[in-house]
Amino acid sequence: MANISIPGIATGESKQRKKGLPIIVTIGLVWIAAMIVIAVTADWIRPFNITAFDLKNRLALPGNPKHFLGTDELGRDVLSRLIDSIRISLLIAFGATMISAFVGTLLGFLAAYFRGIVEHIVLMLADFQAAMPFLIMSLAVLAFFGSSLPLLICLMGFYGWERYTRIARGLAISASKQGYASAVTQLGASPARVYLNHILPNIASTLIVSMTLTFPEVILMESSLSFLGLGVQPPMTSLGNMVGYGREYLTRAPWIMLTPSVVIMLTTLSISIVGDWLRDKLDPTLS
Amino acid sequence: MSTDILIEASDLTKTYFSRRGLLGRPTAVHAVDGVSLAVAPGTTLGIVGESGSGKSTTGRLLLGLEAPSAGHVRFEGEPMPALETAEWRKYRARMQLVFQDPLAALDRRLAIGAQIGEPLEIHNIGTQAERRERVLTLLQAVGLRRDQETSYPHELSGGQRQRVVIARAIASDPQLLVCDEPVSALDVSIQAQVVNLLRDLQETRGITMVFISHDLKVVRNISDRVAVMYLGRIVEEASSDEIFSTPLHPYTRALVSSVPVPGTALKDRIVLQGEPPNPAARPAGCAFHPRCAVAIARCRAETPALLAVGSGRKAACHLVGGDQPAGVTNNIGSVETLVEAASTQTSASP
Amino acid sequence: MFRFLLFKIFRALVTIMLVVTFAFIVLRMSGDPAVIILGPDAPPQAIEAFRHAWGLDQPLWDQYLRYFGAIARGDLGVSMRDGQSAVLLVMERIPATLELTVPALILKLVLGISIGVYAALHRETLLDRVVMAGAVVGFTMPSFVLGLVLVLIFAVELDWLPSGGQDTWTHAILPIITMSVGGIGILARFSRSAMIEILGQPYIRTASAKGMPWRKVVWRHALPNAAIPIVTIAGFMVGSLIAGAVVVESLFSWPGVGRLLVVSVANRDLAVVQCILLMVAACMVLSNFTVDILYGYLDPRLRTANVKG
Repeated sequence: MANISIPGIATGESKQRKKGLPIIVTIGLVWIAAMIVIAVTADWIRPFNITAFDLKNRLALPGNPKHFLGTDELGRDVLSRLIDSIRISLLIAFGATMISAFVGTLLGFLAAYFRGIVEHIVLMLADFQAAMPFLIMSLAVLAFFGSSLPLLICLMGFYGWERYTRIARGLAISASKQGYASAVTQLGASPARVYLNHILPNIASTLIVSMTLTFPEVILMESSLSFLGLGVQPPMTSLGNMVGYGREYLTRAPWIMLTPSVVIMLTTLSISIVGDWLRDKLDPTLS
Repeated sequence: MSTDILIEASDLTKTYFSRRGLLGRPTAVHAVDGVSLAVAPGTTLGIVGESGSGKSTTGRLLLGLEAPSAGHVRFEGEPMPALETAEWRKYRARMQLVFQDPLAALDRRLAIGAQIGEPLEIHNIGTQAERRERVLTLLQAVGLRRDQETSYPHELSGGQRQRVVIARAIASDPQLLVCDEPVSALDVSIQAQVVNLLRDLQETRGITMVFISHDLKVVRNISDRVAVMYLGRIVEEASSDEIFSTPLHPYTRALVSSVPVPGTALKDRIVLQGEPPNPAARPAGCAFHPRCAVAIARCRAETPALLAVGSGRKAACHLVGGDQPAGVTNNIGSVETLVEAASTQTSASP
Repeated sequence: MFRFLLFKIFRALVTIMLVVTFAFIVLRMSGDPAVIILGPDAPPQAIEAFRHAWGLDQPLWDQYLRYFGAIARGDLGVSMRDGQSAVLLVMERIPATLELTVPALILKLVLGISIGVYAALHRETLLDRVVMAGAVVGFTMPSFVLGLVLVLIFAVELDWLPSGGQDTWTHAILPIITMSVGGIGILARFSRSAMIEILGQPYIRTASAKGMPWRKVVWRHALPNAAIPIVTIAGFMVGSLIAGAVVVESLFSWPGVGRLLVVSVANRDLAVVQCILLMVAACMVLSNFTVDILYGYLDPRLRTANVKG
């Protein structure tokens, strides 16, 4: 039965104008906080070393008194490996996001300030980055350079830089047009001062929203690479790594693959939810 | 001689090229076309004109905020440094601009105290403590309270914001203040307050001012001399009193006739016909001739030069100025007299 | 219009040039190719000979031009593993990859768009909420997790479908589903919001108020306008399609180009990796170009607008 009410009049999408955080955002924040705590305190809360074998308890089921989440074929404690994986994956994602935000914003500012040929080059690179599938390009780089952790973080640092560049450039240009940037320039401020003291604080919230939206994608990208065996290398472990490893034991011990998968999903979900909420609060113009 | 002039402009020209469509040929728009003026220290020059007259651009050229396509600007006898060089930045401490839209000119994230103090930081004036005290003094000088130091721009009214902009502009004790439509965005009652503030600041600090506006009433209040601009050129320049009591150029006369005098009804108001000026489509000859009630054939053909008319006055009109019979120059009176003079001339020429 | 096309072709060429340059730079930066190929224990004379034979002792510019020329000629080197021409090796695998990607793309487009549009037309119903929730899950669940879960359920527990290899057509079912789900979710969500935005436009309300039957309003006014942003997003999905193929093929041991890429990367078989990279770039450029043309065709505003470079 066709909807006979006049369409398009936004009915209850935002029915709740309640004060305070929506419950799902709270849950998301709690999860994120938990992940961060785990990542930071990994060395202390981990029951076992990730390479410690417990050959008497191989492929133990979850709920085992000694091994809360079970063990794998070599008797390694799944919980410990999970804790370490969380730390490594978050570390990579965080480092990568920082690098990409910094580089992207810097390039965006350079493009906005110099205009002309610099702007053209930057935009061309941005288009190029957006056009090519990142996974393929990173595989190529990994083939040529091998996978060490610093390299991996740098490589992931290339993910999504063009988004920050576009935002930074666009907002810097409109700031100059608007007035306060040109007003301060007119006062005699050097360009560095204008950009750092005035433009950057004003666009920070938009950039941060973009960072929270990109962060889960970095986690997924790194997990995919590690799953394929080309990301984080043993003896280090990451969430994707564990899933890849757990694939061998899918039939016998599915929990090895399921626990990191659940963590990946819940983490990306939480960050996406919080990011969406942040965006709605701070900057509805960003989509 | 140079001590009598703080800032002077010679033959300033600023041309923009606009394209109409990708395949159209670029047309030159002379926003400012051969403007020369000089401002004595401690005085105020008012620049009046409609939008499209080039007055804002002239103001920016005077400050060196834009590079002229031709001509030059000299400040205290020295040429203006090139835009955005370190030298140019240092000059900023001596000359400032007050904008039309105070909200856009202020950073909404910073408290006004910090913004007023910013020029002091940029130009390294005074110590930390001195700067703060100076900011508070400036706040008082513009009529705000000292405790408003921590307010944000959006918490203030339009008039208060403009005061903040003014405070910031005079923080570095500049010698020259260019005000570009500073009160146009404000309520009429507030306009008077801000204009009075500017006048007081000029008296107490001896700042030289260039006051740009389309509003004659405001300009009259504050200016010692007035230059009237039309389509990028100055058409008349004289002291404030002379302009308002005896305007010479037909355009000036039209403008002045529309200024209401309190207590009396507007009479003999000259209403301008024709299209408002478009810098991209400039009429030949005298730019004003399509709208001029007393235009003659010569106005269509030849652009009038800005010539001296009596002492300290200049006008650019074929019907006014050096080549007129003496009787007409000092006795303009009504429009009928002008028309009569015009017909006398045409009938006299071979 | 002609200018528009010319500009887009130019951009496409620039992208390809950038990819080639990228490959070249990465290749050169990763170490001396002679050492990589011959091994670190090779005698210095062999390395010298190799470098001379391949022109590696020439200045960098010269190498770049030669590299470029070789690619233009279609000579992309030989695979290290079996000495076969890299290009041929890759070409062999393309049909297998197409067997997965084409059905997946069709599924994504058809299901994704129709679900999204349907959800937009029936807002706030149960279906709408299910769609939105499903889309979010599709976005956060990585494809390898989904694939493994599907294998766990359908192949291991239920034993309905095979879990790997390319023997029968049933083997393709799980891979195709795995590849499509994420895209369906994204496309559904996007189509839904695009449709909602269009439906909120005044001209829709006008058409409806004029008495036009709702179905007609949707078909003649809403959908064609919604097609524009949807086509753009669909175009971008081609890129993720190729990336998705890499993971899915590895997961299901499907002998396509994606799997070849992973294996070659692990073996550092540079010629093959390079070849695949260039091929992917060509695909992306082609698909972007097609989307741009389609976009220009669909949006009348662009046909007459001046396009600045």
